[in-house]
Amino acid sequence: MHPAAIPLGLYIHIPWCIKKCPYCDFNSHSAAGELPEQRYVDALLQDLQQDLQRFQETRSIGHIFIGGGTPSLFSPEALARLLTGVRRQLPWQEQVEITLEANPGTFESRRFAEYRAVGINRLSIGIQSFDDRHLRRLGRIHCASEAIRAVQIAHTAGFENINLDLMFGLPGASTGDSQDDIETAIALQPTHISLYQLTLEPNTYFHKYPPALPDDEQTYLEQRHCQHLLAEKGFRQYEISAYGLRQRQCRHNLNYWQFGDYLGIGAGAHGKITRSLPDNIIRTWKIRHPGHYLENTGNPRVGGSQTITRAELPLEFMMNSLRLHAGFSMDSYIARTGLGPSTLEPALSKCLQQGLLENRGRHYRCSTKGRDFLDQVLAEFVA
Amino acid sequence: MDQSHIRNFSIIAHIDHGKSTLADRFIQLCGGLTEREMSSQVLDSMDIERERGITIKAQSVTLHFQAKDDEIYQLNFIDTPGHVDFSYEVSRSLAACDGALLVVDAAQGVEAQSVANCYTAIELGLEVVPVLNKIDLPSAEPKRVMAEIENVIGIPADEALKISAKTGVGVEDVLNQLVEVVPPPQGDENAPLQALIIDSWFDSYLGVVSLVRIVNGSIRKKQKIIVMSTGKSFLAEAVGIFTPKRTEQDVLHTGEVGFIVAGIKDIFGAPVGDTITAADNPAAEALPGFQQVQPRVFAGLYPVSSDDYESLREALDKLHLNDAALHFEPETSQALGFGFRCGFLGMLHMEIVQERLEREYHVDLITTAPTVIYEVETNGNEIIMVDNPAKLPDAGAIKEIREPIIQANILVPQDYLGAIISLCIEKRGVQKDMQYLGSQVALSYELPLSEVVLDFFDRLKSASRGFASFDYEFKRFQPAALVKLDLLINGEKVDALSIIVHRDKSQSRGRELVEKMKELIPRQMFEVAIQAAIGSKIIARSTVKAMRKNVTAKCYGGDITRKKKLLEKQKAGKKRMKQVGKIDIPQDAFLAVLQVGKD
Repeated sequence: MHPAAIPLGLYIHIPWCIKKCPYCDFNSHSAAGELPEQRYVDALLQDLQQDLQRFQETRSIGHIFIGGGTPSLFSPEALARLLTGVRRQLPWQEQVEITLEANPGTFESRRFAEYRAVGINRLSIGIQSFDDRHLRRLGRIHCASEAIRAVQIAHTAGFENINLDLMFGLPGASTGDSQDDIETAIALQPTHISLYQLTLEPNTYFHKYPPALPDDEQTYLEQRHCQHLLAEKGFRQYEISAYGLRQRQCRHNLNYWQFGDYLGIGAGAHGKITRSLPDNIIRTWKIRHPGHYLENTGNPRVGGSQTITRAELPLEFMMNSLRLHAGFSMDSYIARTGLGPSTLEPALSKCLQQGLLENRGRHYRCSTKGRDFLDQVLAEFVA
Repeated sequence: MDQSHIRNFSIIAHIDHGKSTLADRFIQLCGGLTEREMSSQVLDSMDIERERGITIKAQSVTLHFQAKDDEIYQLNFIDTPGHVDFSYEVSRSLAACDGALLVVDAAQGVEAQSVANCYTAIELGLEVVPVLNKIDLPSAEPKRVMAEIENVIGIPADEALKISAKTGVGVEDVLNQLVEVVPPPQGDENAPLQALIIDSWFDSYLGVVSLVRIVNGSIRKKQKIIVMSTGKSFLAEAVGIFTPKRTEQDVLHTGEVGFIVAGIKDIFGAPVGDTITAADNPAAEALPGFQQVQPRVFAGLYPVSSDDYESLREALDKLHLNDAALHFEPETSQALGFGFRCGFLGMLHMEIVQERLEREYHVDLITTAPTVIYEVETNGNEIIMVDNPAKLPDAGAIKEIREPIIQANILVPQDYLGAIISLCIEKRGVQKDMQYLGSQVALSYELPLSEVVLDFFDRLKSASRGFASFDYEFKRFQPAALVKLDLLINGEKVDALSIIVHRDKSQSRGRELVEKMKELIPRQMFEVAIQAAIGSKIIARSTVKAMRKNVTAKCYGGDITRKKKLLEKQKAGKKRMKQVGKIDIPQDAFLAVLQVGKD
């Protein structure tokens, strides 16, 4: 398959938060004083232009994801200018999915209608929990009632595509806490729910001062119960942590997991671009610190780039595609990596034999057991 | 140098009593090194030695000292190890000397091991010169310690010099006294060459380097020599002394101590204790060598990766060259594959060999639980020596198992006597003698060696706040109610995890062991049952619960590189584990037995 047939997305990173959460390992920085909105939007547009030139990119985009940080700290005017600028530089497909990550605070939800008006059509709200005790422990700056209100406002504002982020396995959680959260969430009628297990990532406050977490057994059972509740209400799990109503899967994230291409602009944003197969698949990342990113006017804001080697490709593909319940077809493996089926051996056969993977013809996916032990499966594909 | 102006000596001192500091002072005083070259404690040249503050291997340094009589003397100082495991090495160094300094901490007093080493020196006919060190400490009690030297060791101490190696007080007097008291070598310069190999080691540039004492005759550079035990001849490419820098010379004379490099590439070419003689005028007889040392502790050493088997063999060969006490022979284990059964002097020796193999030779190792050697009489009246629990015949075929018994000589301040006696009883000891010597008590106990090798030394130290000391010697094999304790993982016996224990302790050991294994074996995708068994009877059981899941919660196209590194690290970690059946067992689990039976 010609690289031009590989779909392309755009990721835009807004790196500021009011306050960094103790579990967060993303590239986010506490916002001190007024945000340099105008300068940052200028920088993003210049960044995009440089990427397009560098890769001589001509494909049209099908989805945009504005993540952070807390992108809802940016005003609707700034985002309007950003999206207009992007549109000027890139061909858009019809019905481009444009997601904005938003915090459910009062300050943000007042702006939801305006966000919708400037073209954002999917809102991803970082609820995490509907329990004030948990919210406090997680260092969140909103409360449960604000969260509920925010979802209602999002509906009123005309969003037909709403994701709620929730976490389970929280410090001090007792049995049933996460089911309560799921029930509250479902009652608010979102179209998509992302349900993550809290993990203590390196370089976070929680990693340094680990809170007491519920034991594995309890957390596992909680997860199972939540999955049942979600399935009953039509939220089909399509990825390790993602559940969506029919036709409401996140197209942008799906593209990552299907090993599609994406441009990444903004401080610390990552991108993946296929120039030719299989030897010219490139990962790029931008300067991480927002201050340095902004200062670098006129110069490319590239932090680094790396060509994925043939030896790494099987693992990279699997790390993404096996997260999906649907798995992958051998044809898509060939189309996205340019490598033949034999490059997956002997790991593929071994996992099939162990019952961690299953296949129907040329279609492969994790078994129920394989999904629980995905990291073990992936370890087999490490070069 | 004329023999009358040569003095060969060692220092007998307990760890921390200041031997290395004193040696450094000597070197400084005689101008062996410039200030800049004096990195602290120059003699402990192995990293391990410096890190642990102990001396393992003999080394020498030649000093030129202007004594009170204004004459220049050549002082050859042969360094000795200071840990109970290495008493064999001490006797080797002492055999090359005519005198020894007994350095005693003026605050702490005499320790058991110095006593044992002093006896060795006296037996070898050495002149022992007592010195009280650390006299600058406020807690120093020279009177008491002098009395102790006389009472415990039985040598006069009223003339003992009171010095401080740290401040330098009295150091020069020590050298003067050495010159006066220690006799010069009594060799025959005109006799055929006889050089005693004190130590040999492998240098990657020079080949084998041997430290020798010229007992009779002399050796020149470019002379043809013969190693007497093998009859092989070599060309002495270089001879010389350590100052402590390696300094080449044209000749080594009678009575001198120095090195020989003879292009010996085969590491067994110059065994320690052997005699070197001249090819054109060989000596009729070899010098009396050293007593062969018997290893006391045995363990299996296996490469984590079977590809490393050959490099492990080579590394062991090289270590063996200057560590005659290290024994090894190939063995196989169902669980661990091909490896070596190694014999060591004690636990510290084992740890040091392990560490050197990993650090200097980069071999990743799995070490099995250390064991002593047992004498087993079968029903067929056959006597076999068992140094590997897995090789113990079935209980039905055994008439009697006999375990090694040692005599421990312990010196302990009175305050800690009760605690030490309790420890000895716990370790199945039988008291043989007890004597009050001033403020210290000399205890003599017979103890099973198996109870001593694991942690006796550490326990002794902690029970006496570091003040008790001990030395031991092998006595005999003695029948005991011993059983083999097997460990089963998911129903399969893992041969490398079997141990031999006393019947009375088997229940508690079994329980502790399965609990410890439960902690050490990581959770797997399935449940892992751990059982301890004696014969077919299961005496303890524990379960490593199955892992519920192992999956990264969040992964977007974004920063996939870190997750990738994590997976790579996981895989590398897994490589360092040993797969027994379907189960991954980490390296340290094979040593779990060392971590049980301790309070």
